[in-house]
Amino acid sequence: MSETWDTAFVEPMREFFKEVGAFLPHVLAMVAIVAIGFGVAWIVKTAITSAMKAAGVDQFSGRVGFSQALSRGGIRETPAHLIGRFFYWIIILVFLMFGLGALQLPHVDRFIDQVFSYIPHLLLAVTIIVVGVILANFFGTATLIAAVNSQITQARLLARGVRLAVILFALSMAFEQLGIATSIIVAAFSISFGGAVLALAIAFGLGAKDAAKAFLEQRLKKERPKEEEFSHL
Amino acid sequence: MRRQLDGIGRADILVGIPSYNNAGTIGHVVRAVSAGLAKYFPESKAALVNSDGGSTDGTPDVVARAGVDLQSVLVAHRVNPLHKITTPYHGIPGKGSAFRLMFDIAAALEVKACAVVDSDLRSITPEWIELLLRPVLREGYDYVAPYYLRHKYDGTITNSIVYPLTRALYGKRIRQPIGGEFGFTGDLARYFLSKDVWGTDVARYGIDIWMTTTAIARGSRICQAYLGAKLHDPKDPGADLSAMLVQVVGSLFSLMEEHAALWKGVEKSEPVPLFGFQYDVGLEPVAVNVDRMVEAFTLGVREFAPMWQDVFSPDVLERLRALQGTASGFHIPDELWVRVVFDFALAAHRRIMAREHLLKSLTPLYLGRVASFILETRQSGHREVEEKIEELCRAYEQQKSCLLEQWDRPLNRGASS
Repeated sequence: MSETWDTAFVEPMREFFKEVGAFLPHVLAMVAIVAIGFGVAWIVKTAITSAMKAAGVDQFSGRVGFSQALSRGGIRETPAHLIGRFFYWIIILVFLMFGLGALQLPHVDRFIDQVFSYIPHLLLAVTIIVVGVILANFFGTATLIAAVNSQITQARLLARGVRLAVILFALSMAFEQLGIATSIIVAAFSISFGGAVLALAIAFGLGAKDAAKAFLEQRLKKERPKEEEFSHL
Repeated sequence: MRRQLDGIGRADILVGIPSYNNAGTIGHVVRAVSAGLAKYFPESKAALVNSDGGSTDGTPDVVARAGVDLQSVLVAHRVNPLHKITTPYHGIPGKGSAFRLMFDIAAALEVKACAVVDSDLRSITPEWIELLLRPVLREGYDYVAPYYLRHKYDGTITNSIVYPLTRALYGKRIRQPIGGEFGFTGDLARYFLSKDVWGTDVARYGIDIWMTTTAIARGSRICQAYLGAKLHDPKDPGADLSAMLVQVVGSLFSLMEEHAALWKGVEKSEPVPLFGFQYDVGLEPVAVNVDRMVEAFTLGVREFAPMWQDVFSPDVLERLRALQGTASGFHIPDELWVRVVFDFALAAHRRIMAREHLLKSLTPLYLGRVASFILETRQSGHREVEEKIEELCRAYEQQKSCLLEQWDRPLNRGASS
């Protein structure tokens, strides 16, 4: 009976506690690494946020329209805080991977390798999106100003179209970088963009042929409108 | 060109004419300059420099062929021949780059006095050359600005922004700070040449205001020469108004940064001596379309208002919104216009948005102000119009203290004024 009890219960339990005893230091190491990660991340976030503020990143973002784009997206934090927060989570992620590595589990190790090889793509995708938003705002504003100064009443619509096209282009590049539905996104972008251009061309050709004719005639003849007879300078 | 300059050696006077496709008018300008030099400075060794921007209409050929019958201007002979130099300039296409080449030649020839005149002038006479050069050569002045009679709607950037702002900032009442015709010493030409500004808007339309402001800031002795009527071909018909505003107003704002210490200490303006016999002349009527300008203003205020949240204080934006409508009864008061210009200067100083976007967004407001001015002065004569401009100048001077107060204050988003 006693032998049976030992075989059926005590031995497995002993084995279990032995394995737990061997594994526990790894868990503790992981917890310690992650805890240190949180501390390091907080310090780095604070330092980066302060440095970004001192470098005038918030003012620059205001100038290029990035802050306004964030506000439109419901994000209330300043770009300096966002950059600090981004690095905070990157560091947490890195330390979490180190922590998981401390567990020394073969499946987890493979997963960590995959995550680490993916991080550069993630960083590049985020950079592409940030630059894309900045460029979209810049070109959108430039289009709005040029269209209003040319007295085109649908200026805002035109500017939104340009902004959307640039953002879509940036998104398709970012998704391609992340390897998410690469072919579908590129095809969708190409179809949407090509379709929009074709639709505009047809609409302009059919709906505004007289205006186009008058415009081209004026350009080719280099005639100045009567109302611009006086000199501004 | 260097060989030609070596052949000339040294000269007393240089007259520069920048050009770009001005074959229709430049012949007259060259003849007037040649006659002026022969008549008023026959003993001086002079060079006429045409700095061309790559004209395709034969402008350099017209310059080369243009000659003047000295008998017809009652001049017996010239002691020294007039050296004519026609050369293309390099660098950014624009009037400023053309001037840079002229300064370079002036320095090489070690001239005592320079004059520059536009190539699109139809009303230039030989007397203009005397009036631009004599104060430099005989009266000890360093810089001569022009003073003309112009149509009341002509030179609207000058009348609504450049003259009143320059006067309020630097305290000198130079009526045509960006006139296009100037006289100055060879020493000042060398000083202009030494400045590293030729990659900026100074190389384009910003050159005139830059020269005038630089002369003021250097403490040069400045006077004005009464040249009579200014009639000219429209300034670069292909030029976009927004681009012109960016270049001229952008240069003005950049100069505000550079000379902040100077203009902060200026409290009031003073007259600048004016030479020349003053007389009234009839001026050609010009066509204007006020409705189109008011429409541009209305569209601009409607579409740019969100972008201007950080440029204007809420009350200015509200007042601009309230002005939208038709030309009938449309009026932008002087005090509001001055606040608009000062708020734009502060926005450029604080770099709250891309500079070119900011300055281009001024276009509809400027057109609104022009429309308001035209409506206000439709029945006015020259003197009444000048009085209106004088009132605007006083508004700029009175409100300068607000600009001063805010200049060194950091940006408070949403309430910049």
